[in-house]
Amino acid sequence: MTPSDKRTTHFGYQEVPVDEKASRVADVFHSVAARYDVMNDLMSFGIHRVWKRLTIERAGVRPGHSVLDIAGGTGDLTLKFSRLVGPRGRVVLADINESMLRVGRDKLLDRGVGGNVEYVQANAETLPFPDNTFDCITIAFGLRNVTDKDAALRSMARVLKPGGRLLVLEFSKPDNALLSQAYDQYSFRLLPRMGELVAGDAESYRYLAESIRMHPDQETLKGMMEDAGLERVEYTNLTGGIVALHRGIKL
Amino acid sequence: MALTPTLLLGGLERSLNALLARDPAAPARLERLAGQRLLVRLESPSLALALVYHAQGVDLMRQDDEPENAFDAVVELDPETLGELLGGASVERLMFQGRLAVRGHIPLLEATRDLLLDLDLDWEGELAHWLGDVPAHSLAEGIRSLGRWGLRTRQELCADVSEYVFEEARLLPGRHQFEGVRDHLTELEVATDRLEARLERLRRRLTTEGDGA
Repeated sequence: MTPSDKRTTHFGYQEVPVDEKASRVADVFHSVAARYDVMNDLMSFGIHRVWKRLTIERAGVRPGHSVLDIAGGTGDLTLKFSRLVGPRGRVVLADINESMLRVGRDKLLDRGVGGNVEYVQANAETLPFPDNTFDCITIAFGLRNVTDKDAALRSMARVLKPGGRLLVLEFSKPDNALLSQAYDQYSFRLLPRMGELVAGDAESYRYLAESIRMHPDQETLKGMMEDAGLERVEYTNLTGGIVALHRGIKL
Repeated sequence: MALTPTLLLGGLERSLNALLARDPAAPARLERLAGQRLLVRLESPSLALALVYHAQGVDLMRQDDEPENAFDAVVELDPETLGELLGGASVERLMFQGRLAVRGHIPLLEATRDLLLDLDLDWEGELAHWLGDVPAHSLAEGIRSLGRWGLRTRQELCADVSEYVFEEARLLPGRHQFEGVRDHLTELEVATDRLEARLERLRRRLTTEGDGA
């Protein structure tokens, strides 16, 4: 047995071997891909659209830019980025999960997006792009599913052009105790039930709630981004810290 | 709260794009504008708003830290000027008055105003979709005649008030009188300047003659 087989990582509240996490996460997303958008709207009461809007505003994407949307899932950010970069720019929608990528590609094609969008099935830890390729990288609600977050952040910093921005939109820790309580009740009691009713899959949504709790909080993630070589890292708490938007620049 | 402006802007963008989708003239205009970026800086409240056109409408985004050269045109104005601009005042007049600063591709601002103000919605067609052709048409006729009546009444009121103020009560000078007075005053100013210069010359001559003697 090699040492890597013994190492474990968290999958929600369970400890699983490092090698297994990716395939377990993949199973979760294979199972929810088709109803991912509906569930997002239901679970966040539609606020996820506003969170993503703010991410796009902070991205500062201009015509001609290259943008990488990691864990872009069903293409919400890519849709808008493809308009912002115009015909001279390009947007790469990357996701590790084939089902999510396929749903995203179909949705974007249905919306008339093409030409400047590319689809890549890739692991965020080892991005298959040359150094200094992108003006902006976003990862929205994806980082917490990555097995080795530090490796993923380093890989993103590597493919970012100097002066480029990395934006991480991810669930975080609410700063208010009362909100935190209500949020816990909501995500551990209501959320799996909603998942069962709408997507027919309570387990995946239980994993979602657990993985959010295991994700590093605002300051820790900021430190991780700085360790990965990003500078001027700052974060904005959204909706009382349930979600935080981190932004770092490669100098 | 960081999200409120974003939420409002999102709502505005949605309604604007829904309106543009109903305007038969909008697609051609948007086609011409697609890909252009306009930055509007409002003085108070301090707000930088980017309008990014695409073929289906416009994206509205807050822009706080973007360099100006990333935009095709940059407009700086205060809320009062914005009101006048939306009220139909000409861009040139506001620029010459120094109340509107535009840098970059100026026609973009006019195109934007045309796009937003000349929204000619086919709302009768939309009504017909819900009510049927005949009721929709009579309702639309009623609203149109009400609109015409309102417009006519307003014009008449304006004309009556201005006639009273300028002609009957003579409370204010009319535009012609005002311009006449201004011309006279300019003439007077020029004449005074000349006189002053002449006096100055005489004084100089007197001093040099006094020194010589």
